[in-house]
Order: sequence, then structure tokens, then C-alpha cells
Amino acid sequence: MTSNCPTDPPRPSLKGREHLRRSPLLGRGRGRLLSAALSGGADYADIFIEDTNISSMVLQDGKVSQAQQVCLYGAGIRAVRGTETGYAYTMDLSDEALMKAAKSLTPTLSKGEGVKPQPFTTTFEETGKPAHSLPPPQTRKLLLGIEEKAYALDASVIKVKAYISQRMQEVQFAASDGTAFHDFRPRTSLSVNIVMERGGQTQMGFASRMMQMGADFFTDKLIEEVVSEAIQRTDFLFSASQIEGGEMPVVMAAGSSGILLHEAIGHAFEADFIRTGDSIFTGQLGKEICHPSISIVDDGTLPNDAGMLRFDDEGIPGQKTVLVENGRLNSYLYDRISAKHFGVKPTGNGRRESFRCMPIPRMRSTYMLPGEAKEEDIIRSVKRGIYAQSFTNGQVQIGAGDFTFFMKTGYLIEDGKLTRPLRDLNIIGNGPEALRRISMVGDNLRIDHSASMCGKEGQKVTVSQGLPTVLIDKLIVG
Amino acid sequence: MNKDLIYFASEAILKLPAKLDYKLVLLENHEDNIVLRDGKVEKMLRATSLSLAINLYLDGRDGFFYTNDLRPDSVSAFIRQAFETTKLLEPDETRTLADPSRYYKGGGPDLQNFDASLSEIDPKEKIRLLQDTAREVEGTDKRIISMQTRYNDRQHEAHYLISNGFDGHEQSSYCTLTSIITVEGEGGQHPMDGWGESRLFFKQMPHQGIAPTALKRTLQKIGQRPAPSGRYRMILESPCAGNFLQPILNAMNGQALQQRTSFLRGKLGQQVVSPLVNIVDDPLQPGTRGASLFDYDGVATQRRELFTEGRLQTYFIDTPMGKKLGMKPTTQGIHRLIMGSPKPAPSPLPLWGSAGPFILVTDYNGGNCDPVTGNFSYGIEGFLIENGAIVQPVSGMNITGNILDVWQRLSYVGDDADPWETELIPTLAFEDVAFDGI
Repeated sequence: MTSNCPTDPPRPSLKGREHLRRSPLLGRGRGRLLSAALSGGADYADIFIEDTNISSMVLQDGKVSQAQQVCLYGAGIRAVRGTETGYAYTMDLSDEALMKAAKSLTPTLSKGEGVKPQPFTTTFEETGKPAHSLPPPQTRKLLLGIEEKAYALDASVIKVKAYISQRMQEVQFAASDGTAFHDFRPRTSLSVNIVMERGGQTQMGFASRMMQMGADFFTDKLIEEVVSEAIQRTDFLFSASQIEGGEMPVVMAAGSSGILLHEAIGHAFEADFIRTGDSIFTGQLGKEICHPSISIVDDGTLPNDAGMLRFDDEGIPGQKTVLVENGRLNSYLYDRISAKHFGVKPTGNGRRESFRCMPIPRMRSTYMLPGEAKEEDIIRSVKRGIYAQSFTNGQVQIGAGDFTFFMKTGYLIEDGKLTRPLRDLNIIGNGPEALRRISMVGDNLRIDHSASMCGKEGQKVTVSQGLPTVLIDKLIVG
Repeated sequence: MNKDLIYFASEAILKLPAKLDYKLVLLENHEDNIVLRDGKVEKMLRATSLSLAINLYLDGRDGFFYTNDLRPDSVSAFIRQAFETTKLLEPDETRTLADPSRYYKGGGPDLQNFDASLSEIDPKEKIRLLQDTAREVEGTDKRIISMQTRYNDRQHEAHYLISNGFDGHEQSSYCTLTSIITVEGEGGQHPMDGWGESRLFFKQMPHQGIAPTALKRTLQKIGQRPAPSGRYRMILESPCAGNFLQPILNAMNGQALQQRTSFLRGKLGQQVVSPLVNIVDDPLQPGTRGASLFDYDGVATQRRELFTEGRLQTYFIDTPMGKKLGMKPTTQGIHRLIMGSPKPAPSPLPLWGSAGPFILVTDYNGGNCDPVTGNFSYGIEGFLIENGAIVQPVSGMNITGNILDVWQRLSYVGDDADPWETELIPTLAFEDVAFDGI
């Protein structure tokens, strides 16, 4: 379908690109702004300018009668001295307003000798390209087609709600160490909610996808996949039930089970928590923390993935970071501040929700490398346990390492076979313990591209996760 | 707040080549966020933001638009594009503005909920408050690994202009002081907990007790582990009791009813939870958080009973949902929720001395509740208590069941809700709750 689908010309933002084309970061202004930000004794300063346009349409009750459009436009200026940060933002990108914001940082830091801004080592060549977005008439047509498809697939469907969101974020960045970039970050997502009624019972399920792409995101295959998945998940709920909980083995199915890594270790590897000593993994660098067959990465280089970054929000190039290599803790997830604190290179994990927020260490795409076991052998090895298939949400307590994730659908395993369909179970474990209890790793790594948002300190960023099928010998299920 | 922009925007809408209804909301927020770590300022943010939210209504077509690029040319272009997008939508006769007879007409009380001086206070004074707070526990316990003290405040102003007859202004403010402490625990664990308090005015901020409470709560967590699975009396500590009510409030939402995804569908007027449940939404008390004279639609607020002796008294129905469901519109949601009869000072929980065993739940760790069935599973932490004494701190346990069934087993409603919160829910006790642990 994509090849036949007429698209809007590249149109990164509502206002066109002329505003950021005239931005002070492109001329000598950036030197003056950074000097002003540094003038209070900071040893580092940066400016992040953003022009974001998000448009979305909703189908509900057979009509595409709701649309939203959001324009975010502004600049964040940061001054850093050691681990101290002063931050100001403004929605007025005039030279005067930016200078006022930069100068407002002067009294916020403890006094130091300060530095001068360095000559820029990179040019403002655009690192990404503005993507074609799907124009509203085609978006509407697509949504109506999704509804038709859903009703055709199962006669029990009584409600369909579908939501398409298209974002284009244009970013310009300059830092006092000479780093600079200009990027275009498209992001498109599709979510489908299904309500089915059967025998007097009602159930609701959903499925979604999100990628850093423009209109090319919408293929027949993807739409078929999302609609079918939403219906299958809803249908599954009619026969599924909760079980009496307790400690038991849990087989995590390939794909969205990557939430295990995100909650169990990912957040606790974020180096701001290591710097402050809050994380349970503090002081574990280089130590064996799980079976040598296990390697885990956090990757900002997967093409079009929700966690992909050509540059992070501190100007560090996108890269792949090996967190656990053959069972040993190899690296934490560093932003500039924590990397400087530990005397290592930043890993490109400094991210922010918008110009209103300071960058902090965040995950990108976190996944475990495949092992050698076959999924059927992993299931066969379990006498009585849970096969966890899809999830809605998770959480972790950084210091204690206790994590949870909510299993929406799965199965009971009895004598090595999937038997009773299960739903709505909260699975609890302790990060380091759960890692040590992974005893089998499958050969079937799958990255999950559901629309996943990760929250930290009030900031949401997009992430993805992946896992091959793994067996955890013991977790609390309930 | 410069209100000229909202009138400029309304003129730009009037210049469009069609007659539209509209709702414009100009929002201005000033915020100060300061983080003190181990006695030093770690992060400091001061900012003022201005933005414009626009709803356009064109013959049943409803588009929502938001921008913070408020240069006149940009606003005009944004509105023109918003109009083009709205035109493409399909008509839905239910999507209209509220009936103007329901709008707030003035004459309400002074809500006394705006500290006009907040943004003018020297940040050094706010830093001093943080330092005073942190100093209370500095050096008092060798097990402290790190201590973060946070101050944030916000002044909020909004001006509303609705084309069928509403022009209103609202303002509010709050300040919050929080202490979060991590300590050396057992087996390499780093227990972390915190305590925070909010007020409307800076001069009301407490200068004592926050960090010591945070430290006490953190130290009590040392040695947390799951307790044996079983059915226990559950006592929900006031600060986390609201989360257990949330699925029920979600199920009262008109959208969930209309989409048939609410377990409270068709239950209006019925007793759905324990007769001990009495809940009102009271937005008209001056000097309180959440106080408001009108909602986001401009509709005048009023004191509203949500549950009376366990009977469901209302749903949250806005204008479009009212039309879709054939029901009278009520309100979009809650402003200031009050359960029981809160008093300004907490009183001891009489159940503490009961034989037990019971589990005092002090926080959640993940979990979810199915909106259609009400079946839930939440991770919890807290304390296993027997004969009035703590047997062990617990974590890594789930509570499970059906949310309405468990609320039917409510056996005690305390009077210790924090009057400075927007949801005043006291400590609660529930009988025979399933806990999954070891």
C-alpha cells in the first residue's frame, strides 16, 4: 500500500523550516549564547532548540470525528559545573530572549573558574531527513479501513477505536565543547483498541506499533498485524482466568518480554542512580552478575526503532552499549554528567522529553542476545509454571531492585505443556536475583515494536525492548 | 497574564471562511524546581511558559489544537491549518460546546488558592528551606547512602474564552517539599523511601519533620522480604489509599461507559461497595488544593456526592458523552475528592493494636486492574504486623481479587487524610484480602 499511497511533501513542522534556518545556533550567535551560559563558572553548556509538530486522528464509533495537532517550539539552555546543573527554557527564540535565558543561569551554580566555548568540531549538516507524513484525508481513509477489517475478522467485535499519531521533531543542538548537530526525528504510531461481546461477556484488548518513520510506516502487512493482534488478544481474554499465585518458574516469551530487562536491570543501570549510590548495581562494574551465556545490550542504532538516536539530546553519536557481556557487568548507561563523574565516555543515553526538560540517562532499545535453546525445549523443561506472553506495564524500585510487570496474557505450563490460558497477573522479582535465575536462553530474539513510553522524573521518552524466550527459575506471580 | 492574545486568536477564528464555535484557553505557568543532593544544589530550573489550547467546532466536527509558538503570524497560520484539519473530519452531532446555561456566571467565593508572590521569592530562600530540611537528618545515621531534597512550586493561570458565552479566568498555586533517602540495607540492597508535603502558599511550607519522616520510613524498609501467601486483613496507609480507589473512579468515566468497558455500567444508584464508603467532590472550599469555580468546559462546579453509604451516585459525563449516552451531563472529573470526614491532624489507627496478623500496605509496586471486569493484581510493600508489633517489613508480594468485591469488605475508614492533597482519602482497612508471597 505504501508505494501507492500519496503523501504530503516533506514538511517537518507547521511553520516550515525557515524559523530554525534562522536560528542563532547557525551563526555566530551560538558562541555568544554559550559564553553567557558559561559565564557563571560552568565547565560545560549546551543549547537544545526544538520545533515539533504532532498530528493525530481518532476513529471511534465508526467516525473519524476527532483530530489533534500540537506544536512545541522552544529552546532549553543548560550550564553544568561538575554534577550541578542550571537549566532555563524559553519559547521565544529571539536573540534577546535566548540571551536572557542563558544569563539567568549565571547565579545558579557554585563559583568556579569556568571555561570558554570551543570551536565547533562538527558542522550543522543535517543528520536526518524530514519524512513524508500521511495527509489527513489518507489518514482518515486508513482508519476507516482498519475498522472495516476488524469487524470483518470477528463477528463478536462491537467497538473499534483506532488512533494514528504522526510526529516530526526538528532539533538543533550546540555545546560548548564544539559539538553540534541538526536532526529530523519522525515518529509514527498506530494503536487499535477492540471491544468484543460474547455470551453476555465483554472483553477489551489492544495492540500498537511505533517506529521512527514517516508515512512509509503504514504498510498492509503492519496494519493486518496490528488489527489481528488486537482481536486475538481480546478473543483470548474470554477463555483466560487468573490463578492462585505464589513462587513458580516463569518462561518469558520472545519479544515484549523484554520488559523484564527494562525493569529488572535497565533502570538500575542508568548511571545517575550509580553516581548517587542509589542503584542496587552500584559498584558491580566488571563483576559476574549472571550466567556467562547471557549478554545484554542497549542499542541506539537499530534503524527506525523507537529507541534509535543519530545523536542523543546531548550531542553524543548514537551507539550500541553492551551492558552485560558473557554474564559480566560491562557498562552502565551514561549521560555526559555521569560519564565525566566516572571518567568514562558518555554512551549516548542522555535523553529528554522536550526542550522543557534537562537530559538524563535513559534507555533506547534494550535486548538480550540470543542463546541456543529452542523455545519448545524451554517450555518442556518446566513441570508447573507460567508462560508470560504479553504485558501492559512495569515498574522498578531502583534501590531494592524489586521490579514488577503486569502480564495481560499467558498460559499455565503443566508437565512441559501450555495448558490453561491466563490473564491479569502481576509478576514480581528482584533484579539481580532474577538475572541469576535465568537458566535457559532461547535462539529466537525478537524486538518488540509496540508503542512503549518509559517514564522517569516526569519525562516520557520512547523506547523498545526485546528478548529471546528465557526461563527464570523462580518469580512471585499473583 | 496578557490576555490580548486570546482575543487576537478569537478574531483570527472569526476571519475564517466559515462560522465556527470555539473554546480558547490561554495557559501561563511559572515553575521553580530545585534539587539539593547531599547539601549542594544539584539541579535548578526556573521557567515561565505560555501556550494556547484551541477547540474548533464546525457542524459537529471537533478538533483540538495546542501551540506554544505565540507570535501573531504563527498563531494566525496555526488557526488556518487547524480549520483545514477540522473540515476533514466527519460530523458527529454529539461533539458540541456545553449548554451556556451551565456556565459559571460569577459570584463565587474567593478561592484563596493563589500565591502571587511565589515567582518573586528569591530562589535563595527556597534553597535555604531545602538546606534546613536536609540538615535535620545530615550525619544522624551512618547507613545513609544519599539524600535528595526537592522543592518545586507552580503558579498556574488560565484564561478561557468560549464562543457561546463564557469568558473566565482561573489561577492557582502550590509548593511541594520532598525528601528522598537511600540507605545501606541487607544483602546489598539499597532501600529508598521518601516523604513530601504540599501547600498552596510558600509561607505555609513546613520547616521541620519532612526529612526525619523520610529517614524513618526508609530505615523501616531494611530487611524487606515477601511474607507467606494467605488471606490477611489489609490496612492501606492514607498516602497510598487513593490508588486503590482509582480503578473505581476510572470506571465512572462516561467514555468507559459509552465504550462498554466499565465494570460500573448500569450500576447507578446501586450499592456497589461497602456502606462505609461516603465520597464527595467538593471544589468550592476556599484555601484548598483542587478548588475551582468552573471546569475545563466552563461549566460551574458544585459539591457532588459520588458515593453515599456505598451507593453509586453519579458518573462523570461531559457534554458529548451525555448526548451519546442519553444522560444529563455532570462534570468531566474530580476536583477535590473527600472520603469520610478528614480532620486537620491525624489520629492513631485503633486497629494497630488488634491481634492480627495483618498487613499494613505503605506503597505499591506495579500491577493493574482490568477496566471491564475489575479484576486486579497489584504489587505491594509494607509491614506484616501481629499483636501490635511489626513482624517484618514486606515487599515482593501481590494483592489480588476483584476491586468491587474487596471494596465491599471495607471495615474501617480513618480520619487522617492529608488536608493539603487534592484527594483526601484516609487510612482504610479491608478484610480477607488475598496476598501472594512465598
